[in-house]
Amino acid sequence: MPEQGREVDAVGGTPEAAPPAVRVEGLGKRFGEQVAVAGVDLVLPAGRFVGLVGPNGAGKTTTLSMVTGLLRPDQGRVEVAGHDVWRDPAAVKARIGVLPEGLRLFERLSGRELLAYTGRLRGLPGAEVDKRATQLLDVLDLAGSQHKLVIDYSTGMRKKIGLAAALLHNPEVLFLDEPFEGVDPVSAQTIRGVLERYTASGATVVFSSHVMELVESLCDWVAVMAAGRIRAHGPLAEVRGDAPTLQRAFLELVGAQGRDAGESLDWLGGAR
Amino acid sequence: MTYGSGTTGAPGTGTAGAAGAGAAGTGALTSVFVRIKLSLLRNGLRQSSGRTAVFVVSIVFALLFAAGQLLGMLLLRGHAQAATLAVLLTAVTALGWAVMPLFFPSGDETLDPTRLVMLPLRAGPLVWALLVASLVGIGPLFTLCLAVGAGISVAHGAFAVAVAVFAVPLVLLVCLALARAVAAANIRLLTSRKGRDLALLSGLVVAIGIQVVNFGAQRLGQAGGLARLEPAADVARWVPPASAVGAVDSASRGAYGAAVAQLLLSVVALAALLYWWQRSLTKLMTAPDGSTVAAAGTDTGRGGSGAGWARLLPEGRTGAVVQRALRYAWRDPKAKSGWVTALALGLIVPVFNALQGHGSVYWACFAAGLLGTLMYNQFGQDTSAFWIVAMTVSSKRDAYVELRARAVALLLVTLPYATLVTVVTVAVLGDWGVLAEGLGLSYGLLGAMLGVGAWASAFFPYSIPQDSAYKNAAPGQGGLAWASMMGGMLLAAVLCGPLIAVAVWTHVASAEPWVLLPLGAVWGALLTWGGLHLAAGRTARRLPEILTAVSKA
Repeated sequence: MPEQGREVDAVGGTPEAAPPAVRVEGLGKRFGEQVAVAGVDLVLPAGRFVGLVGPNGAGKTTTLSMVTGLLRPDQGRVEVAGHDVWRDPAAVKARIGVLPEGLRLFERLSGRELLAYTGRLRGLPGAEVDKRATQLLDVLDLAGSQHKLVIDYSTGMRKKIGLAAALLHNPEVLFLDEPFEGVDPVSAQTIRGVLERYTASGATVVFSSHVMELVESLCDWVAVMAAGRIRAHGPLAEVRGDAPTLQRAFLELVGAQGRDAGESLDWLGGAR
Repeated sequence: MTYGSGTTGAPGTGTAGAAGAGAAGTGALTSVFVRIKLSLLRNGLRQSSGRTAVFVVSIVFALLFAAGQLLGMLLLRGHAQAATLAVLLTAVTALGWAVMPLFFPSGDETLDPTRLVMLPLRAGPLVWALLVASLVGIGPLFTLCLAVGAGISVAHGAFAVAVAVFAVPLVLLVCLALARAVAAANIRLLTSRKGRDLALLSGLVVAIGIQVVNFGAQRLGQAGGLARLEPAADVARWVPPASAVGAVDSASRGAYGAAVAQLLLSVVALAALLYWWQRSLTKLMTAPDGSTVAAAGTDTGRGGSGAGWARLLPEGRTGAVVQRALRYAWRDPKAKSGWVTALALGLIVPVFNALQGHGSVYWACFAAGLLGTLMYNQFGQDTSAFWIVAMTVSSKRDAYVELRARAVALLLVTLPYATLVTVVTVAVLGDWGVLAEGLGLSYGLLGAMLGVGAWASAFFPYSIPQDSAYKNAAPGQGGLAWASMMGGMLLAAVLCGPLIAVAVWTHVASAEPWVLLPLGAVWGALLTWGGLHLAAGRTARRLPEILTAVSKA
């Protein structure tokens, strides 16, 4: 399957001089007996809005964690913007922004304090951090809650402050794990707007999701993951193929077609 | 979370879907709740063998303690002060039940009425069912043992025994109703973030409370024993539920009128508590949840990133890390309770020992040692938010600056504090000649603890559960936490060996003790520097492994 995926890429990839945003070779990780990621090969071109889709437990979070250097792979190589994640962490960490899923923030800081802290850890000058933080808080509609502790934020607000922290140092590649999970439509629209503006400038966004409609409307490049492997990747139109929607193409790819609700619930909706 | 006005208030709704439940009387409901309680207990135990072990150990201890208490009360039977002790113990136990839900919102899910809001239940039967269900547990068993002991120790004569038969269960029920009513009245607070923060501070209350009780007991032992408690007992014997025990005592002494009055007082208290509880429940289950409204209020107290004192800090990582560490010391309940415990005990132990006449300047090092423990498991204290740090550390230099900044944040408080404690201890002792030696040893130990703490943080990181005041390591990491702390302290003591040797030498050779001050400071700084360097290399190499280790809770 991964070989097939690479072929799609070879056909669809544009011949660019710049290194790809992400190049992954033979990436694998197992937790005890369970194989979470079973040999992923992936090349993501720069300047695209990339969606990594797959059902729960497909290995999306594990893959993104390894690509961003937060989890050590058992095997394989990862390059971001032409730099090896594990051999040249300084070059990679300066170029990427990350919003992980399931990890905390420093929640006893206020939104503004969190940005100030993150920016200074990144080595940005204090005045510049404060200027950028003000603008980000403004654009992401968090200015009114900037002095509230992050622990009192709603899910949508947490995702937005996490996004702000990831964008603060103007990274080349942004990795977002489930950025729209549990986010209300208004916040989702705000996040979308910011991300679209960001990719328009030539930067790359890689985000994971299991909401196909969202991926279809946002992304121009898609990688489909299931059971720890890449099932297909390439430009959205190619991955979708003849299927009417990405959702349908996805269900075919992961082999989950035609599961019926069955007759066992025949009482549901019957006489009360 | 609360949508319940229709389900409890209006008759007719909910009956279609829950015909069986609607017909359930108090009896059926009670048996359901008791079974839920037992299932929760069983499932909790089934989750892990560690939990089972903790439960078995705690039940054995509680039973041993209760049995000891029972035996003690039995032995006390006939003693002049038996009634004083019985009444006061009952009163203290009741007080414990009253404050317990505020600090220990236990794993008891039947306690949280907001979980029952969607069910068509009325508050009246619910109160009885919950009361009976809450009889299941170690706490009630312990209280029952105490009440039985109190009853036996003061009951003399047939009438008194008859009163005791009523009084003992009454004590238990009043205690339980008290705990439940207080919990129900404060459930909004308890389920809010502020309430959970409060619960996390309970470790502090226990730690400092033990010291206060310890010194109080020593005082009592010196000053004439139980007779001093009589005035307190005279009041308590009219306060429910201790008044039930007081009734037994009154009956034994032939004061039948007083006995009946005291017993009635407890009965009335029980009824009042149940009424209060029922009213809180009804209100809870029918009124909209106010917690989000309260949370939506903005607190403007927190300044921006450029708050006054922060301007004094250096730019870049050092300033940012110091600032965050100090903010966390104040805002994070776990960090705060660690800080306050270390600060309070660090002062209480040496100074009280000095006050009681058997102190020495070496006790002052206790403060330095205790405060030094705050350096341990630095990354575990970050929880999984450590990823933010990991994302920005890409060299040994970064890791060194990060750890050094954390040590600086600690030193900003601990260095002046250790100095203060030593000076105060010496002042109480009245022997200024030992000041230099005390300071030198304190600085040396503090430096050693910081160095070893940094080293242990990098080599033995572990997760700190954020939801409990008492768990300081995630399941399966308890041994690691214990070993790193104990091993670290031992190592720090060993590293201070040369300093101690010099101290001994100055005494043996009658040399000038002041040399210990610069020597201790330099030695401590050296140890910290070494520890930070060892830790920094390891940290930079093992960032993903540290993140995994600290993200388990």
